[in-house]
Amino acid sequence: MAVQRKTVVAGALALALPLALAACGGDSSGGGGSDADTLTIWHYENDDSAMGQAWNKAIEIFEDEHPDVTVNVENQTFEQIQKNAKIFLTGDDVPDVMEYNKGNATAGQLASQGLITPLTDEAESRGWDSTLPASIQTTARYDEQGLMGSGDWYGVPNYGEFVGVYFNQDMLDQYGIAVPTTFDEFEAALATFQENGVTPLAEAGAEYPMGQLWYELVLHYADRELVDDYQLFTSDVDFHGDAFTQATEKLDEWIKAGYVAADSAALTAEDMGVSFINGTYPFMVSGSWWFGRLTEEIPFTWGQTLFPENTMHPGSSGNLWVVPENAVAKDLAYDFIDITLRPEVQEVLGQAGGLPVAGDSSAITDPKTKELTENFEAILDDDGLAYYPDWPVPGFYDVLVSEFQSLINQSKTPSEVLDGLSSAYESGKTDLLEG
Amino acid sequence: MTTVDRPRVRNRRSRDWLGYLPYLVPGLIAFTVVILIPFGMNIYYSLHKWKGGNAPLRWYGLGNYTDLLADEQFWTSFRNSVAMIVAMVLVPTVIGLLLATTLFDVLGKRFGPRVASVLRATYYLPQILPVAVAGVLWNWILNSQTGALNVLLREVGVTDPPNWLGSTTTALPTVMLVLIWIQIGYPVVIFMSALQRVDPELYEAAELDGAGWWHRFRAITIPQIKPETFVITLTCTVAALKVFGPIYVLTRGGPESSTLVPSYYSYLNFFDKSKVGYGAAIANVLTVLIIAVAVVIMVLQARSARREEEGR
Repeated sequence: MAVQRKTVVAGALALALPLALAACGGDSSGGGGSDADTLTIWHYENDDSAMGQAWNKAIEIFEDEHPDVTVNVENQTFEQIQKNAKIFLTGDDVPDVMEYNKGNATAGQLASQGLITPLTDEAESRGWDSTLPASIQTTARYDEQGLMGSGDWYGVPNYGEFVGVYFNQDMLDQYGIAVPTTFDEFEAALATFQENGVTPLAEAGAEYPMGQLWYELVLHYADRELVDDYQLFTSDVDFHGDAFTQATEKLDEWIKAGYVAADSAALTAEDMGVSFINGTYPFMVSGSWWFGRLTEEIPFTWGQTLFPENTMHPGSSGNLWVVPENAVAKDLAYDFIDITLRPEVQEVLGQAGGLPVAGDSSAITDPKTKELTENFEAILDDDGLAYYPDWPVPGFYDVLVSEFQSLINQSKTPSEVLDGLSSAYESGKTDLLEG
Repeated sequence: MTTVDRPRVRNRRSRDWLGYLPYLVPGLIAFTVVILIPFGMNIYYSLHKWKGGNAPLRWYGLGNYTDLLADEQFWTSFRNSVAMIVAMVLVPTVIGLLLATTLFDVLGKRFGPRVASVLRATYYLPQILPVAVAGVLWNWILNSQTGALNVLLREVGVTDPPNWLGSTTTALPTVMLVLIWIQIGYPVVIFMSALQRVDPELYEAAELDGAGWWHRFRAITIPQIKPETFVITLTCTVAALKVFGPIYVLTRGGPESSTLVPSYYSYLNFFDKSKVGYGAAIANVLTVLIIAVAVVIMVLQARSARREEEGR
């Protein structure tokens, strides 16, 4: 499980081991740990990513301020933590602070399973509840059933993400198309490309991208109330209501018109990204997490814009810092989380395109990064984060993938797709609410 | 005398049994710790609704099992298991037998045993390749847009090549072909060693009597290598019923559940949906099925062996 260890020398490990063992024999509910002299951090960001750079800065500050504490950083993979967290967190050999995915199906599950520590007192005393924008706080709080949006704080996000439209400016220029600013212009642009034999949308049916495109369309027709009903279970959701029906029919229309490649059902997000980077498709509707990679690898002129005319967008806080219930050095973990929200760490995030949630974009020097961050700030100002379509119930991701594969393959009608989504959503919701 | 002797014999027997006991203890402990206790826990979990972790367990009786009966995906996954048996047992065993006899009888004799063993190793290669690597490799080949196979097909003028892993009609057969590729080396290796065991005098005698290759194959080879055939059938059927890795790396049960198998469906419920009890119930049904199939095959094997002994 452990991947590469860094920062820590063998001697420090040897010192840390008896401590860890001693801790195992102690109170399994985890103590205050203010006198602990090791802080173990697990995360899954690459060193050169915006987040990786920011976390390294935070670690540096933490070490300066806690000279007697050894920081033990373990790089895991997203999949490792995602799939195994509920198993290893029941044990005593757990990290003190850990990066984890947010949402009902993920952090919400850990919270309802009693595996992570409530952080409400810390959030109030350290001011995290006033530092973070309201729509970012939604993913930090979970109730007893693990539903986000209310209840105790269980995690602290310190960066954001959103889905927008990446475009190939060279291809737009080639066909005399302006960057679309309205939904009609966007559809007209898709049609123009298609008429010229160019499939306009880079897509991937085997993973998240198709669901996010569908959700952008839902958000085009939906209002905040529907989003809250869908994501936060404030009221029942009618999948055959206007917004879901219009969105699914529109997606079906686009597939039929050839705006999405007919053979994209088994393609992965990586396939989609690579084909956009290679200049095969002029548009890619996907998340800000692609930004750094696109900046590095794209050889042509490209840009990024919000999905035209949408006031809400798929997006949320980034992943969360959570403190396992069985952690030993909880106080040190809170100190570390606090540091990641400081302006100097948030600035490192922002400069590298990491969408800081407690910073400001005026300090960002790169124009493209600045534009991305300003787009995100505009969404935050409008309370426009609508989270992701697979969040409401555990296992819904696979349902969305499967149903939209049916739409790409034209083996189901939009109405049948909505039936499939509805029944999985309802049964998942019942399971969640029943506990 | 007899009244005195009998207890003595019985005593000696029980003492013999006791003498073996220390050697059995490590195995029994390992079996208890690795198989029996987890299996018992799995049965216990399957009788509850449970999210996992420190969440409370709620008694659900046989509810998870009755829910399974009405679960269409569960039945789909078991229907796909039949396809897995075709791809991992039936086809590889038949092709493996033909390949092994060709390598042993024809190529081995004409080009020497070294050539035969190099070819045998080549067929076995997919077996030692980690399944994750094989999956990545086949995804490169089968990708609908950039995969080597479709690029080649487009080169030779096929304008609309199949969407191998992306269409509900082709995904399952494609997965089956990959499984055959992975699996084939196993029967080849076993059958080749079985063929080496067969007394050459039998073939010589048959040849003197004027029996052709087909007759020798049917009357000598197949009956002689029956024990190995049973072993292959048993191990491969169990492997086919619990296949997970190739499905995980190739299709994750998609598109539209067309390649879903019970073990992946159990995993999906256990980990992704946090329906631990339901996932445990699927795993238990699968375990019972595997035990039943294994028992049937072993009974058939014992019956066949007994018949052979009686025939002799």
